[in-house]
Amino acid sequence: MSEQRNEDLSADKARELFDESVSRLDAATLSRLNKGRHDALERLQHARLAQQWRRWVPATGIAAAVLLTVMVTRGPGMIVAPDVPATVTDFEILMDEEGLEMLEDLEFYSWIDPADFEGAGSVG
Amino acid sequence: MSASTVVFAVSLHSEQCTGAEALQQKQQLNQFLAEVERRALRIAEISVRNRDDALDLVQEAMIRLAKYYAGRSRHEWAPLFYRILQNGIRDWHRRQKVRNRIMVWFGRTSPSGDDYDVVAQAPDPAGRTPDEQLQAHEAMQQLEVAIRALSGRQREAFMLRTFEGLAVAGTAAAMGCSEGSVKTHYSRAVHSIRKQLGDHWQ
Repeated sequence: MSEQRNEDLSADKARELFDESVSRLDAATLSRLNKGRHDALERLQHARLAQQWRRWVPATGIAAAVLLTVMVTRGPGMIVAPDVPATVTDFEILMDEEGLEMLEDLEFYSWIDPADFEGAGSVG
Repeated sequence: MSASTVVFAVSLHSEQCTGAEALQQKQQLNQFLAEVERRALRIAEISVRNRDDALDLVQEAMIRLAKYYAGRSRHEWAPLFYRILQNGIRDWHRRQKVRNRIMVWFGRTSPSGDDYDVVAQAPDPAGRTPDEQLQAHEAMQQLEVAIRALSGRQREAFMLRTFEGLAVAGTAAAMGCSEGSVKTHYSRAVHSIRKQLGDHWQ
């Protein structure tokens, strides 16, 4: 009998004994194995959900960056300019050449301004 | 149909395909684990001589396989699973060694494994007589003693090749060594076991 054949026979006998011992595992052990397997499969689902979440993170980042870019480039045109304060308008009028003359008759204009309003009110 | 609708439809279709693939993958993994779990438990049990620890090691290997390697092709699962398990067994032995040193330092010894009964108390599924069961049990016990007397690498090669039926390439992948090393370890293991068991194998 060759050495190789002896090796094979020994391995066959060992496998037979081993398989026999596997078949004799008790119900409690099999139940724990079953539970362990289902726990592992649960982890598989969690791992997959985490993987899907990670896949969306770059897409969300890119979308946020695009939105920000659009807001920065097109935003000022869309934003309604606030009313210019009255003091600034008055200042511009005063800085005109005519405005300097106006300063000379300041008392007259301060008198005519309320009178003008009253007149407009009576006409309307 | 607007561009956004097309993108949404394509995305939805892709999600549905992914869902079906995920379900199929889960079923395949479940089938694979159900096929290997009992033999894996006995292999771990022979190595660590404790069923509870062996169960923990097998469960840890199943979780790691599902978590990190479920996406690999199915034929890769067995070598990967046994590689994780063998790493777990080696870590267990390292921890035991440290624990035993500490126990010796405090003047205690680790619990003996002599009172551990490897035979389950369930009735024999093959319907054999108690004498036949006893003979098989004794033969397996002698085999386990012989296996434990092997070096770590010889034990791994022998159990993966003989008990799990992995090919030389698969065993090499599981052990993280060359195929030549697997052949050497396996051959020496078989010689050593034959020498130890002697007449029991005739």
